[in-house]
Amino acid sequence: MKLNFLVTTVALLVAFPPPYECRAIESSSNQQATDPDGERQSPPVLARLGEEYFIRLGNRNQNPPRSPADSFPETSQYSKRALQLQLTQRLLEGKVGNIGRLDGNYALRALDSVERERRSEEPPISLDLTFHLLREVLEMARAEQMAQQAHSNRKMMEIFGK
Amino acid sequence: MSGTSRAQLCFLLLSVTALRGHARFLDIQDNEISPEGLLSLLSSELKRELPEEFVYRRPLRCLDMVAVEGQFTFTAERPQLNCAVFFIGEPSDIISIEYDSVNIDCRGGDFIKVFDGWVMKGEKFPSTQDHPLPLYERYSDYCETGVTRPIVRSSQNVAMLFFRLHQSGSSFTVTFRKLINPFPCNVVSQTPEGSFTMIIPQQHRNCSFSIIYPVEIQIGELSLGQHNDLRRSILGCAGSGDFVELLGGNGMDTSKMYPMADLCYSFNGPAQMKVGCDNTVVRMVSSGKFVNRVSFQYRLLGHQELQQMKGNSVEDVCLRA
Repeated sequence: MKLNFLVTTVALLVAFPPPYECRAIESSSNQQATDPDGERQSPPVLARLGEEYFIRLGNRNQNPPRSPADSFPETSQYSKRALQLQLTQRLLEGKVGNIGRLDGNYALRALDSVERERRSEEPPISLDLTFHLLREVLEMARAEQMAQQAHSNRKMMEIFGK
Repeated sequence: MSGTSRAQLCFLLLSVTALRGHARFLDIQDNEISPEGLLSLLSSELKRELPEEFVYRRPLRCLDMVAVEGQFTFTAERPQLNCAVFFIGEPSDIISIEYDSVNIDCRGGDFIKVFDGWVMKGEKFPSTQDHPLPLYERYSDYCETGVTRPIVRSSQNVAMLFFRLHQSGSSFTVTFRKLINPFPCNVVSQTPEGSFTMIIPQQHRNCSFSIIYPVEIQIGELSLGQHNDLRRSILGCAGSGDFVELLGGNGMDTSKMYPMADLCYSFNGPAQMKVGCDNTVVRMVSSGKFVNRVSFQYRLLGHQELQQMKGNSVEDVCLRA
């Protein structure tokens, strides 16, 4: 009886492995020491007109981003009041910027090991943002969180009060 | 069913529930565990899901930061080619992003990608050295794996969403949840002031606590296993497998930041330092042989203090672009 019990327990342990979050963290000895980020970044110039954030896309298939002075002649490059987000994007070769090469199989093609290696060499998608703007959006998010917490507390009090 | 068999069945079901990580939803009433109650735990439906009316919802912006759990929808009124959303939780949270409904044209060049961490100007947090996954595995593309894997989880309390929608009317909805992380390792602080205790329990890993403000750090307690060798401290921390370093810089990548101080011996009592950089990081390097712990507080440096620091220092190690 006890043997049957133990066998059943082992079978269930094998059938239901621990979820990902319960596994011990394994240290990787194969982490790439070199940073694959190799993209050339233009200076972090920011320009904001009104409430709009101007975002420029730069990738290897297009001309390098021009100085923002060309796009926004009325604002200087390092104007304190001007913010501009520059999203630098690198995808797999041939998938961005050259619309003619997009084919129907783009989203459906499965990644094989060769593509994974190419992907690991590609500079990743990134966002050009100053810490000043990052702090601003962070403070907005915190204010939203506190307002939502206050709202939830009010709801709970209403429920408990009934 | 006999009492012994019932007890054994209950034990088996409890074990399976614990292995699946759902034991926290066990609901025992009247000190009796019913087989039906236990069997319900094996289903994927969690008991404590919030009712619909309590789920927080709002539209998502092209540039956004989200710190509150809920459901967020982005609808493109015009082509939106470069958008990014930051997600942040408490230090002891990890982030879960679930795709609820997605209406984009993957073949037309639309994409939605989740990044495990934050990346700004090509610099990533956590750095490549401090993150368990290689860089390409930290990006999760909806167009490739979103249907089969609709839930993406981060390894720390921050994550990002990048998306591009070419057609107006395209939209997507994601649910943002925070899950408990019992041993937080890499953290971005939500606030410029606070306190934290970082514990690395005999793991060979490096952990960073990032504060994206210029702050004064006060380390209250440092416990680094068996390292109480004063001679080692005189010679510096070079070669020590367990130490804490204070970093300062103007980017997100801790491997590109300037070391302000390093500590490789245990001590009690405050040791404080002002770091006048955009990003201040407390980083612990752990060999895995010991349980290492560091407790610290931090407060925002005022404008006056920053000006004074600028006036007193010969060299500004935090170079601005």
